[in-house]
Amino acid sequence: MGLSTAAAGDGAQLCVFDLRRGQQEGQELDKILFFHPADCPILLQLSVIGLCEGIVTFTRIFSPEEDCEVIESEKHSHVFYQAEPDIWMVLVVEKTKVNEPTWRCGALQGILKEAHSLFAMFHGPIRTLLDRQPSAELARGHLRTFLTDYLSDFYVGKKLQFPTYRDSLKERGTVQMLTVSREVALEVQSLTTVLGSCLGNATCQSLILFEDLLVSTTLPPDDTLNLYTYAVLRLTPRALSSNASSWSYLRKGTSVNAGPTSSSSNGTTAGERPLLREKLSKGKDGFVAADFTATEVRGAVPLTPILWFQQAEERMYLCIYQHKSLTILLLIPASSLINGEEGITHVKKQMLENGSQKIVTVEQKLSRGWGGENAYHVGGYRYLLVDPDRRVSRASPPGKVTTLAKDSLLALNRLRQEVDLEKSRHKTSDPCHDKDFEASIRTKNNAWVIAKITRGRELYMALEKGGETLLYASTAVEKFSNR
Amino acid sequence: MLGNQIGGLGTPGALSHAYVQHPPLRCDIPDIPGLFYDDANKFLVAPTADRILYWKIVPSLPSGPPNSDPVNDGPVLSVRYSLDHKVIGIQRSRHEIEFRNRETGETCSKKCRADSETILGFFWTDCPTCDVILVKTSGLDLLAYDPQSHAFRLVESKKFNVSWYLYTHESRLILLASGMQCTMFTGYQFSAGGIVKIPKFEMMMSKSEANNKPVLAADDVHIVTVYGRIYCLQLDRVSMTLNLYRFYRDAVVQQCTLPTYSSRIAVSAVDNIIMVHQIDAKVVILYDVSLDSYAPVSAPLPLLVRGLPSNSRQASQTADSQSSAYGGTIYGEGWNFLIPDLICDAENGLLWKLHLDLEAIAASSSDAPSVLEFLQRRKSDPSMVKTICLAIARTIILERRPVSTVAKAMDVLLDSYSRLMKMGGGLPGVRRTHEQNQQLGGQPVEGSPVISQETSPGTTVSPVNPDQAGGVTNRSAQSNSGVDHGADRVTGTSGYRTSDAVNKRQQVVGEDSRPLSSGTSMQHGQHAGSVAISPVEMFQSVFAVVEDEMMGDPAYLAAVIMEFLRSASKAGLKAPSNLYVMMATLLARSNRYAEIALFVSNKIMEPSKELAVQLMEIGQQHPPTRKLGLDMLRERGLHHDYVAALLQDGYFLEALRYARKYKVITVQPALFLEKAVANNSAQNLAAVLSFFCEFTPSFKSTSDFGRYRHILSEMV
Repeated sequence: MGLSTAAAGDGAQLCVFDLRRGQQEGQELDKILFFHPADCPILLQLSVIGLCEGIVTFTRIFSPEEDCEVIESEKHSHVFYQAEPDIWMVLVVEKTKVNEPTWRCGALQGILKEAHSLFAMFHGPIRTLLDRQPSAELARGHLRTFLTDYLSDFYVGKKLQFPTYRDSLKERGTVQMLTVSREVALEVQSLTTVLGSCLGNATCQSLILFEDLLVSTTLPPDDTLNLYTYAVLRLTPRALSSNASSWSYLRKGTSVNAGPTSSSSNGTTAGERPLLREKLSKGKDGFVAADFTATEVRGAVPLTPILWFQQAEERMYLCIYQHKSLTILLLIPASSLINGEEGITHVKKQMLENGSQKIVTVEQKLSRGWGGENAYHVGGYRYLLVDPDRRVSRASPPGKVTTLAKDSLLALNRLRQEVDLEKSRHKTSDPCHDKDFEASIRTKNNAWVIAKITRGRELYMALEKGGETLLYASTAVEKFSNR
Repeated sequence: MLGNQIGGLGTPGALSHAYVQHPPLRCDIPDIPGLFYDDANKFLVAPTADRILYWKIVPSLPSGPPNSDPVNDGPVLSVRYSLDHKVIGIQRSRHEIEFRNRETGETCSKKCRADSETILGFFWTDCPTCDVILVKTSGLDLLAYDPQSHAFRLVESKKFNVSWYLYTHESRLILLASGMQCTMFTGYQFSAGGIVKIPKFEMMMSKSEANNKPVLAADDVHIVTVYGRIYCLQLDRVSMTLNLYRFYRDAVVQQCTLPTYSSRIAVSAVDNIIMVHQIDAKVVILYDVSLDSYAPVSAPLPLLVRGLPSNSRQASQTADSQSSAYGGTIYGEGWNFLIPDLICDAENGLLWKLHLDLEAIAASSSDAPSVLEFLQRRKSDPSMVKTICLAIARTIILERRPVSTVAKAMDVLLDSYSRLMKMGGGLPGVRRTHEQNQQLGGQPVEGSPVISQETSPGTTVSPVNPDQAGGVTNRSAQSNSGVDHGADRVTGTSGYRTSDAVNKRQQVVGEDSRPLSSGTSMQHGQHAGSVAISPVEMFQSVFAVVEDEMMGDPAYLAAVIMEFLRSASKAGLKAPSNLYVMMATLLARSNRYAEIALFVSNKIMEPSKELAVQLMEIGQQHPPTRKLGLDMLRERGLHHDYVAALLQDGYFLEALRYARKYKVITVQPALFLEKAVANNSAQNLAAVLSFFCEFTPSFKSTSDFGRYRHILSEMV
């Protein structure tokens, strides 16, 4: 199969295991919920998981509160993430060079976190699945299809390519917002009100995106983030167009491989495999839905994915509507919707009846004010701004970041690694207060890399024409902050 | 406004939208030949044998005895005082008018040739070239008055046959009927802006039977002035319909045909509402033509007498019991309808003034946005209008009407207010657009010239031909569009220009800022402002009032406020900062902290100190929101509050740094020192102490310095 040839070369492993399972000798295999590559020999799988379990148990002795984050060996790094109590995700990556790490532990953990959050959004917590079916068939089936689909995004050629120092001015796990004028914001909010009232008896939630940027949300930050991430991965016009164009031998291979799951007797639906690219497309009515051939549709399978919301504590149906560059994610509380698909059709109708005019207006106003891909470029600066409270970030456009020298980016990567450490240290000592922090470092290629944390907000910056003095660099940062 | 329910009105017992207020003016003078009305001066005139008694009935009905003027004995056909009240004109016969100088008592007369012509009537005018217009069967005589010699000089004669005529001082328009059926009309407007001639036109008359051509009577034609526009209503007795025409400066256009339920009708105009009295049916129908809609405001309802001493407005009150109470009959034989809103009961010698029952009208429809629009156009009782509008705004929120409906209502109210603001108080002589004027009534509605001096030469208007129905509707549509878009709009197919009479009037007023007339309408102008409701009033009288009751559904109220903000932003108005405070509180109550952050960041909630303080308060439960409040304080440059808040949250080193940078000296050093002590860190306390020694030179001499130094020495 396609995957086996691909897996052999990439050297990265991703596993999910449950420490509460397989605790008796001989049943170790029961711990494994997911392992990538799937064709990895069982013995090797067991040895990776055994090592990880050993480390986790060992580090708990002297650090009961804080989880083990990473172990560095000569050739590999193991990045840990405890997704749910006793359910661990571990990413093993091969080191390319000896001394200089080319990626950041926090960034890799971000991948695990994102994968788990998305999984939980579509399928609920892993623990719940395990409790529902102790044989773990259900959980394994979902994890296999979901994570395989998720990892498919990281393939470059036949290799899994995870974020490196080149991505140090990006922050996974944040939302990118569109800045709009007050007048337009009010129009958008008015549309949100209309969207909220589509159901009648209960309020619908909604997210509105323009291009790949978030315009408005009614959900709490974590749920917003998950849905936003999903939308940018699969649903926005750009994602949809790449769905259609990036069909490849490889993906074909993986999807065939992952296809037959325990629940596949119903046929795979969008609800089952939300990250499967080929299935999603925009219909004539403007709604984005899974696009199935006739043979795959079997009766009353819900075509609309149901989502689990952690912060909103509710299960909701997701309807996706698209008008030009505008993507609307409408969330219908499952508890308030009595007759399933029929009810959703009704809500969609309501939405079009009451909202069409406003959708068109909002799209026009947003397009008029849209500054294009480089709208948030600030001349002379390469920056990343993160607001962890709101899970929001803004960065120099990727096209501009690529103009930075490799040395600048490597230095920035190192600096970020340090800041991550400092942050977690401070968090353990004083969780209630933010600590202000500022570091400016002169790199080998005479650039400045700067990290500044003010009242919880983080700013990372690379200045290649930054002049000689530290004063110059800090004035530049000041200027930037006052914008 | 359509489709109201006749039963179950909001105001108990008021099955009526129009009423007359008891007591009326008593004008039952014994032994008088009749009562006359001088509509230019608003005098009700009762001639006796040797005197003229008159009541000035503006601005309100008087209660005292009438004024009187001595005159010569003789028959009286009509009485009109000059516009400066110096001369009384009395038509003595069909051939003679007597003019009497009130100061000197001098008289002179104007006579016509008894054999060939008769005088149909006369009126005074403020037209620049003449003072009195004599209407005769042979045409018009324009006379100029010389006060010195108390003599009249003929300025001009306009010759044509006249069967009967119609003039109202309000419109300054005279319509002269001629022809076999009296359906051919010539018209002039004699206004301060000059004399303008209206193109000849013909009114529509249905044929009853073959060869039986009915004759149009003067009683069946009514000139009515509303919103500064001049309309004419013509009753077609055969088809029992009412034709509504509108006068443009170079065209007369039929607007629509209204149904009637009576062979006799009368027309009044109250606060720019056309009241069509269906006299036989004893009901009245109201029309509001402001947006060129000709649907009645409500179903036909009777006219009510209000404030009768004997009963208290019960629902069962019938016309009969009312009439017995006041001693006359509603729509009785003796009722004369005077321009614009008066009823004279000649039989009983009573004068009534007509009123609109705005409360009842508002209660008769559930379409809140259009009710509000209707009310915002009213000027007669601004405080009442405002009260009702605010009540409606509250009710629709409390009843949880769809947000879209509430949004429309907000649009109406704020648009109205913003128009008022743009007018800047309505200075006379300022040019403005027609629409602003009619909404706000900044200008008197009287005396609209019909024809513009700007009428381009060579544009011709063919008279409306009743036989070409298609042509009529076509023209009507074009003229309607012309109304909205101002004067010089060239309309398509017919190739003539229609333009707005009122627009022209504004230009006349603008060039010659002499007031056109005195009277009630000027007062309307002064009061008009208070109909509009400001965003602050909306907050105080609507949102703040409903807040408590809406606590169960904060999301709805938040959505409504959002729509209000959208309307306000569209109208270019600022919302009071209290509203943002309320909004933040509502959102926090439903744990919608993320949206608070979103609205602060995209400035939907405009930053203010009040909002910042509220955010910090809300933030007690949600630290990121508190941070939003703090940031807002900093961004607003409220340094003192910012430092104090930082300190309160335990960021005393940050607070010190900030205090140094922005030279904030108002925060007590003791507060910082206390925090440092509470932190139980000698290092921090030492840092704070040395900071203040440097920052505030006088610090070393304060008691704080000694005290905390002592504490520090004990800590080390």
